[in-house]
Amino acid sequence: MFSSKIISENLLCARSELTELSKIRDFVRSQAENFGFNDDDVNKIILAVDEACTNLIKYAYKFDNSKEFCVLVETDFNIFTINIHDSGAPFNPLDVMQPDMTDYMKKFKRGGLGIHIMRTVMDEIVYCPSSESCPKNILKLKKYLHSYQPTH
Amino acid sequence: MSETKQFEIQHKSVEDIDCLYLSGYLDAHTAPQLENALEGLISKGQKKIIVNFRELDYISSAGLGVFMAFIEDIRETGGDIKLANMRPKVFSVFELLGFPILFDIVHDEKNAIENFGRMISQNNV
Repeated sequence: MFSSKIISENLLCARSELTELSKIRDFVRSQAENFGFNDDDVNKIILAVDEACTNLIKYAYKFDNSKEFCVLVETDFNIFTINIHDSGAPFNPLDVMQPDMTDYMKKFKRGGLGIHIMRTVMDEIVYCPSSESCPKNILKLKKYLHSYQPTH
Repeated sequence: MSETKQFEIQHKSVEDIDCLYLSGYLDAHTAPQLENALEGLISKGQKKIIVNFRELDYISSAGLGVFMAFIEDIRETGGDIKLANMRPKVFSVFELLGFPILFDIVHDEKNAIENFGRMISQNNV
């Protein structure tokens, strides 16, 4: 059975199974730490990626472990971007309304917080649905490194 | 740091209080274990539950959802699930969503037991 593997230093592909979450978190933690984020930001980034991948496995792939998705980390000056590529039905998390947390807690609701967490902890989210030119959906989760000092 | 230990629950019962000790990583994969443990206690009629987070390294929304699933029902019976010994990085996830308003999050087990005592006195007034 195919299992998650690091394809290159900044690319990990995983099968659509919840057991893969810990390997994805390990991979993203290592990348975010190397980029220079503090513990608090590393934890936020890991949480956002976990929530995105959990939603993908549960809702886009419906726990079909024959499917796979990939997590690619890109860095540009002070911008750390996690790109999650999947081939499920396109679903733009930015189309989901932000929950009213007061109402949420009053009614003891459960679930549906993953997207809210992603939007709260990341600086920018971009979604590109699959198209003729790009066969995969791509979710981009961006975080800025505020302590970044240009060397030139 | 890699995630060597996935998730474990240990259970201790003292008088009428049940304490669950969580360790490792609580995510969508491991949350059903906690759900089963709480379900088991509540279905036996246990009303006073303390969840000790001392060894818990990580929680995602799936873990938070487990507490949301049971808190209303257990409170309707006069009981509660009290959350103790949370590490700052785990507390920050509760805080991110405003959940400290909803849950009784206490410093340690002793505080949780004291708060259960207060609940009983208030119910008897």
